[in-house]
Amino acid sequence: MKWTCVIVEDLQVAADYLVKCCEKSGLLQVKGHFTNVEQALEYLNKNSVDILFLDVEMPGASGFDLLDQLAYYPKVILTTSKSEYAYNAFEYNVTDFLKKPFTYQRFQEALNKLTTAAGDNNISSTATDHIFIKCDGKLVRLNNDDILFIESMGDYVKFVTPDKKYITHNTIKNLEEKVNRLTFIKVHRSYIININKIDDIRENDLFIKGNEIPVSKAHKADVLKRLNII
Amino acid sequence: MNGSNFSKKFIFNEKIDSEYLYSLYEDDYQYIEEIFQTTLTHFDEDFKGIQRAYETDNLSDLKKAIHKMKPTFGFVGLPLVQNICRDFEDFCQKATSSNELTSEYQQIVVTLAESKELIASEYNKLKEFNSNIL
Repeated sequence: MKWTCVIVEDLQVAADYLVKCCEKSGLLQVKGHFTNVEQALEYLNKNSVDILFLDVEMPGASGFDLLDQLAYYPKVILTTSKSEYAYNAFEYNVTDFLKKPFTYQRFQEALNKLTTAAGDNNISSTATDHIFIKCDGKLVRLNNDDILFIESMGDYVKFVTPDKKYITHNTIKNLEEKVNRLTFIKVHRSYIININKIDDIRENDLFIKGNEIPVSKAHKADVLKRLNII
Repeated sequence: MNGSNFSKKFIFNEKIDSEYLYSLYEDDYQYIEEIFQTTLTHFDEDFKGIQRAYETDNLSDLKKAIHKMKPTFGFVGLPLVQNICRDFEDFCQKATSSNELTSEYQQIVVTLAESKELIASEYNKLKEFNSNIL
């Protein structure tokens, strides 16, 4: 399930860029973009969202005024061009502070902070770049970037890397909630794949380093959304 | 942004910090074209906001207007112009009347006008480049 977010930003080019970043992440659903605090408040007081991307200086009221008036407190990422707001950001307990313009990598870092800050069991462990698995009587560290895909084998799963396969007692359902959601995606009830390792996709299968992996109908749309299709 | 990896590389004007642009959008020239187009669409309105605020001696609006426009230049690979805007914003913060800003204002108006010309020229080149690729 995606997080819902709203963008409050008076600079169109910045808002468009943020929308693009949100779409690219595959984790966020943009519910709206507002160019001033009044419009945003009207929406936010009627609709609850998970995340607020908030500019500080806008015509009329400021982003901090909006936070003062909100009936609830979503996770907030400030987007501004002034680093001087860092102290206020701290006071308002915002999750991160993006100085415009920012790279997609920096945006991803902010999302990682969100997953940690959310304290959600489904996502709290997803911010790291590695995992440890129990294998052959020891804990083995696997870097996310080394994992091609994870395959279900009944009560066990197989982690496939370019050099080696690791079998451990676990389930895809459990792992789906534990792995980094920026890197991994479930494509089938029996497979989680590293989104960065796909070589090609044909109909209902995808290929990673010569391995053919089925993509179920239920997951296909999500997978395609995560790809940089031009 | 989409990492389109065209084999052909667009040559930006030397005043544009292309490395900075690539750090934001990779070599997604279609998207860079969109960014330039959006910037141009809103440029005159934002520029007029600055001029109006200066002419009516409204320092608060002048500061807000330049603050709003400032990051635009970062998005189109002109971080130096973004810094010039930041400096002007600082001047506005310290000034008590727009008369104190005459010289800086005249300079920034020229910088903004030149920047618009550059953005428009690059946009046209990008459009042509992308249409040739497609």
